[in-house]
Amino acid sequence: MRMAILLGAALFAGAAFAQDAPKGSAERGKKLYIDLNCHSCHGTHGQGGGRGSEPSIPAGYPWQGFFNQLRKPRRDMPAYEEKLVGNQDVADLYAYFASLKPAPAAKDIPQLRNF
Amino acid sequence: MTQARKKTTQTPEDESGLDRRTFLKGAAAAGAATAAAMAAATKVAQAAEAKPAQPEGEANMRGDAFISRPGSDFMLDVIKTLDIDYIASNPASSFRSLHESIVNYGGNRKPEFLTCMHEESSVGMAHGYAKAAGKPMAVLCHSSVGLQHAAMAVYNAWADRVPVMMFAGNGMDANKRRPGVEWTHCVQDPAAIVRDFIKWDDQPASLQHFAESTVRAYKMALSPPQEPVLITLDIDLQEEAIHGEKLSIPKLSLSAPPQADERALREAARMLAGAQNPVIVADRCVRSQEGVEALVKLAETLQSPVICTGNRMNFPSTHYLNLSENRPGLVRNADVVLMLEVQDPWGMLHGMGDPWKDIRRVAKPDVKVIQISLADFMMKSNYQDFQRFQPADLAISGDSQTSLVPLTEAIKRELSSTRAAELAGRADGLRKRHRDMKERMKTAAALGWEASPVSTARLCAELWNAIGNENYCLAVSDRIAWPKRLWPTTKYSNMMGGSGAAGVGYSAPGAVGVALANRDKGILTVTLQPDGDMCYAPGVLWTAAHHKIPLLIVMYNNRGYVQEVMHLQRMAGLHRRDPKTAKVGTMIYDPEVDFGKLAQAFGVYGEGPISDPNAVGPALARALKVVKSGAPALVDVVCQLR
Repeated sequence: MRMAILLGAALFAGAAFAQDAPKGSAERGKKLYIDLNCHSCHGTHGQGGGRGSEPSIPAGYPWQGFFNQLRKPRRDMPAYEEKLVGNQDVADLYAYFASLKPAPAAKDIPQLRNF
Repeated sequence: MTQARKKTTQTPEDESGLDRRTFLKGAAAAGAATAAAMAAATKVAQAAEAKPAQPEGEANMRGDAFISRPGSDFMLDVIKTLDIDYIASNPASSFRSLHESIVNYGGNRKPEFLTCMHEESSVGMAHGYAKAAGKPMAVLCHSSVGLQHAAMAVYNAWADRVPVMMFAGNGMDANKRRPGVEWTHCVQDPAAIVRDFIKWDDQPASLQHFAESTVRAYKMALSPPQEPVLITLDIDLQEEAIHGEKLSIPKLSLSAPPQADERALREAARMLAGAQNPVIVADRCVRSQEGVEALVKLAETLQSPVICTGNRMNFPSTHYLNLSENRPGLVRNADVVLMLEVQDPWGMLHGMGDPWKDIRRVAKPDVKVIQISLADFMMKSNYQDFQRFQPADLAISGDSQTSLVPLTEAIKRELSSTRAAELAGRADGLRKRHRDMKERMKTAAALGWEASPVSTARLCAELWNAIGNENYCLAVSDRIAWPKRLWPTTKYSNMMGGSGAAGVGYSAPGAVGVALANRDKGILTVTLQPDGDMCYAPGVLWTAAHHKIPLLIVMYNNRGYVQEVMHLQRMAGLHRRDPKTAKVGTMIYDPEVDFGKLAQAFGVYGEGPISDPNAVGPALARALKVVKSGAPALVDVVCQLR
């Protein structure tokens, strides 16, 4: 998770924002996300994993950073080349993330108040 | 073995009873006499005349000859002196005599025979049990097919540094083996298959030899570094009668754990007292609450943050000095790192990229490393669990838990009042970092809160909600990181770590073993059970039901071997090929395993599968009622993949 946040922050300055992303289909992106096994690390809601090394995909992640991370990833994530995941596919994936309802704040979750 | 053979040839009978060969001879003679007395005895008598000396071992067994005191009774006498409560086993003919001695001669108490459905389950149960009970369980198995089944679990226990007292039945004398299966199940050197990852083994040739080697093995298993040991049980030694020899059982006297050298500890104290940013890394450091408290005192004396790896519950998660989730930053800034029984010191200071194997140095180049460890005393050549070599500035051989108090006292002696005040000044900053860390974890746990399948963070929060007011134990605490990140953990008994060698198949039997140890302590045992692990040997569910072992099993069911999905994705990316196929050979669906029904089939309360996060809490509450009544229960929760 930390890695993704840092990466997102690094890319934020010169990156295009969500409104600059190509138009995509959230529905198609959701299916693609599962088909490509993205959820094995990042979870179906981009929440990351519970083993310590699976990064979350923060809400508001910039389009250009998202695109770059798929094509030429930092660290250990595999690359998804255009011949396998086309540019429209990436736009659909991005649209899926943009469509997700934001997570509730921890303070508003009774079960998390115990900690 | 040799002694037993000598006795059968030189001493046909004694006051203690008959040995196996004498028994057969007696049966042959009695058979001939009875036949001669019968009306139609002529032919038989002629045959007897024709064969005056019936070959030994070919006579028919009869019911009028007995073994009044088999060797296995004495073996059990020996085992009973070792305070072993349970002996886990899948029954097998190579130890049938000892099995019978346990259940009849010994009354099936201390040790009680635990019926297992796989030798890996037997050893996995013993592994978990030893960590929770603080003493070994015994395991009985065939020396050939049994040890082969058990081997992976033995390696787990070895890597986790846990004592297991193993016994393996074997027939050494080829002249006495029954044809067929008994030959197939006998081995010339039974321990060979596990010798690379056990501490010691022996193959006793007499009952006195058995007594001395068994007590020796137990003593060695419990001397840190604690490890599994193996004693072979010769079939004839078990089954033949005890003769007139004087047998004695050696007194057990456990060795005091080796404390680190005082002079070396003084040097460590000097380095730590002078450090600006010390970090304590605790791996398999403690083995009791006393050790936890000693580590707290050490950390507070230094005002040093602690990284607890999770292989043992070394340090309370509620303590402000526990900054385990800040590990990279702490290591990066450290000037002195104290490593307490750390299995992978190099990995603490470095990372390695995958697949290009690029080394990323995390720690400063001039960081000073102090290691207190017994690793040098348990290292063998073949299996590489000892990890990459990391040079230390001060390497100290010694038992970490035993060395904590003298190290703390040495540090106190090093601290002037001014320096002590300086160290105390660190506390506020460290408290804030601890609070920030906890908040960060809670924020991360909220992500995907309403997701279906259920997020692993939600699962762990729901579980805590169900058990938070109990004296709890998480039997296998390394499969999901959220309990370590979120749960208030204050006792050594709260979390029992993982398998040791990451050999799949430990979680289910390990949890049953932990729950058995906790049964009489009033500790509620829960576990987060991976689905792939459960599929290895699910018969352990029956063992839990049969022996009434209360355990709440919460399935972390991600329907796959997801670590391997990730590996295949990585390989596909590297090979510029389709990543979608990473599911092939790695996912467990089509059909999906119904673990609720699996549990029910073994006589365990079972619910599920549950994918709705809001249904998890009520299901856990129902299952908890069953567990509190003294039985195991399973709730199958379909989870996010990680």
